[in-house]
Amino acid sequence: MSLAIELKSITKRFGSFVANEDVNLAVESGKIHAIIGENGAGKTTLMNVLFGLLQPDEGEIWIDGEKKVLPNPAAAIAAGIGMVHQHFKLVPSLTVAENVFLGMEIRKGGLIDHAAQIKRTAELSKQFGLQVDPTERVGLLSVGIEQRIEILKVLARGARIIILDEPTAVLTPQESRELFQTLRGFVAQGMTVIFISHHLEEVMEVSDNVSVLRLGKNVASRPTAELTKSDLVQLMVGRLVSFDRLPRVASAGKTVLEVEDLWARDDRRLPALRGVSFGVRAGEIVGIAGVAGNGQTELAEVLSGLRPSSYGAIKLNGRTITGLSAREIRAAGVGHVPGDRLVRGVDRNASISMNLLMGRQDQSPWSTHGIINRSYLLEQTQSLIKRFDIRARGPESTAKSLSGGNIQKIVLAREFTGSADCLLIDQPTRGVDIGAQEQIHGEIMRQRDAGKAILLISVQLDELIRLADRILVMFGGTIMGEIPGDRVDEEEIGMLMAGVVPEPHSNTVGAA
Amino acid sequence: MEVLERLLNVTLVIATIRTTAPILLVALGGSFTTKAGIFNIGLEGQMLVGAFFAVIGTIATGSPWLGVLCGIAAALTLALIFALLVVSFKANEVVVGLALNILAGGLTVSLMKAIFGTRGSIFGHGLVGLPALKLPNVKDLGWFGQMISGYTPLVYAAFILVPVLILFYNRTRLGLYIRVVGEKPEAAEALGISITRIRYVSSLLCGLLAGLAGAHLALGYTTMFTENMSSGRGFMAVAILIFSNGDPLKILLGCLLFGFSDALSLRLQTLGISSYLVLAVPYLVALFALFALSYRSRPRVIQETLASMGRALSVKSNTIKPAAATDASKP
Repeated sequence: MSLAIELKSITKRFGSFVANEDVNLAVESGKIHAIIGENGAGKTTLMNVLFGLLQPDEGEIWIDGEKKVLPNPAAAIAAGIGMVHQHFKLVPSLTVAENVFLGMEIRKGGLIDHAAQIKRTAELSKQFGLQVDPTERVGLLSVGIEQRIEILKVLARGARIIILDEPTAVLTPQESRELFQTLRGFVAQGMTVIFISHHLEEVMEVSDNVSVLRLGKNVASRPTAELTKSDLVQLMVGRLVSFDRLPRVASAGKTVLEVEDLWARDDRRLPALRGVSFGVRAGEIVGIAGVAGNGQTELAEVLSGLRPSSYGAIKLNGRTITGLSAREIRAAGVGHVPGDRLVRGVDRNASISMNLLMGRQDQSPWSTHGIINRSYLLEQTQSLIKRFDIRARGPESTAKSLSGGNIQKIVLAREFTGSADCLLIDQPTRGVDIGAQEQIHGEIMRQRDAGKAILLISVQLDELIRLADRILVMFGGTIMGEIPGDRVDEEEIGMLMAGVVPEPHSNTVGAA
Repeated sequence: MEVLERLLNVTLVIATIRTTAPILLVALGGSFTTKAGIFNIGLEGQMLVGAFFAVIGTIATGSPWLGVLCGIAAALTLALIFALLVVSFKANEVVVGLALNILAGGLTVSLMKAIFGTRGSIFGHGLVGLPALKLPNVKDLGWFGQMISGYTPLVYAAFILVPVLILFYNRTRLGLYIRVVGEKPEAAEALGISITRIRYVSSLLCGLLAGLAGAHLALGYTTMFTENMSSGRGFMAVAILIFSNGDPLKILLGCLLFGFSDALSLRLQTLGISSYLVLAVPYLVALFALFALSYRSRPRVIQETLASMGRALSVKSNTIKPAAATDASKP
């Protein structure tokens, strides 16, 4: 067994904060090595040290049995390390080949040799099974293909050890599967892959070895086969966390939200919702499942008044709210936790207390005669910070100074403490670490038990299974089917998500 | 018919080419900064000092070519100050551009007063323009020969620069990096391309061509300097740059349109139409054309406002099912 990378006692401090403490990491060559841990556990810092973006305060880096000092990414690239960042750095107006060779252009007589670049890109694409059209403009391509181009960039620079930072965060399940195939192809050709993730299924599925970081330390490095999913969770958060369906008593009451034959268009004016009908009762969580981009976003926007519907009716407690503005809908009793918390959930530059006030600044007792009641606001902010466990320095910290999970808790704290009967919750735990996920799920359940009607939209199936009483599967702007939350057949959901209606008495799956 | 014949003939084409050249030069200069992601409103000022110092340089040395170099040097100085403030000190590019335009206007007037003791115009004083180039053997080409021969050298330079710039952006490393810096700075940064350096280079290349444009105005287009002689060409170039997104071919089209309407307005004047009206023609044509061409790329907020106004006006649009409504698409 030879080691591609060996990190010995790496310590990295930022001021008094220790991001990595005495981390030892051995990565076997020709293997897929997963590094998992909660947000802030030090995964990215460690990888930045390995890629020369950061200098360790203590410790040594050994690559292929040689001790190396990596003062900058160029040195890491020269040592055969390539990094695929979470955020792509591609230029939309350039072609695939131009992007792959950007910064190391092939030139002939001083001019860029486009033909040679295209040829070389096609060769790399073929060699590593990363299907792309080298002449296509990147701006026209999907996220999955953009990622392939980022990987090709790394390969074109001669990398044999490839680090992928949260590569599946932006991919559809199908794209993720293709990526895993590609990664297996890499190791089959003798390359080494380091895979950073906090999706446990993926880690279990794709990796040979796994290292778990917690609070900057490497708490375990083992062959993946020796561990179960719950072992990993326990190692990551340091305690037992259940992923099972949360216990509940059936408590559904009268119908609060009723949607009848709803149609709407997307930003390109194409139909995004095609006749959606369903109801949500008090004390019930209705989950909306589906691959991102099948109308879920538009559904949440129409229901919250942010997007006009083109046909159909929305009723709240029997009253038609179709066509009302976002403000009127809120006043009628709909709370909204938007899918993109930084765009519509909070004002990044405003304080926690201001973010908690927003939307009810004209209501007593938050304000009287148009003047904000400061002492009441402060008192409420402090109690909400405590109740929702928002980790911040104080009520006046700006939202942008907090982690994703804590920002999301601000949004929940605001939306869950109003007078809403109905809550629209869109992707509540996207990019949130496991500890905070658990708290958020707990809060959602408490709202259900308090008799709120909850529509929960999520692309994470396990989240829906954990929380929802019923799951509706969306595909192409329609509801393909309904599945009770306590009898979820993943295969059935998967087919519905792909737009195939399962036939009850047949084993053959026909094309949609 | 007779009026049309008097308006549209080879001389109009020649006039168009003449009037297009100065604005084409300055707009091509602005293409560098536009592509590098800098909104450079200072083209007007750079062009003006270019014109003034080209005249000063020619009078001082007796050579219009040395005058051109003086004009370029002056515009480059202004471009360097622009880059220093905008790129290094991160000042607001509109404020800096405007300030430098005002500085250029004031500076040329004051220096004119100080050196020549006059206001208004400089001519005479041994001022010579650039020689017109007679292409060889064009007589055989008839009207076409007449059309392509006899301009001052910078007119040719302006039109030759269009394909040169296309090649530059598509096939050279610097051109590629300028585009990347403008379009996706974080991509440039990740690859170790210095954004600061590329933006300085773009600003200076812009100053070079703006200076050349000014020199052409004073030594080729006319042989004199007058107060504020760039007369809005720098601003027209900015407008053309916005709709063309800095693409050389689109810049050429925009400049030809402006040049054509400018030439046409000169013609109309000879027909005895009110000169105030006539002088407004090129600007009106350019404005309408730019608005029409940029219709698609108008900011989303305007489109949304128009769309929602349309919704409010159309009666009960909410009850009309979308055309794509079919029962087949339901589960």
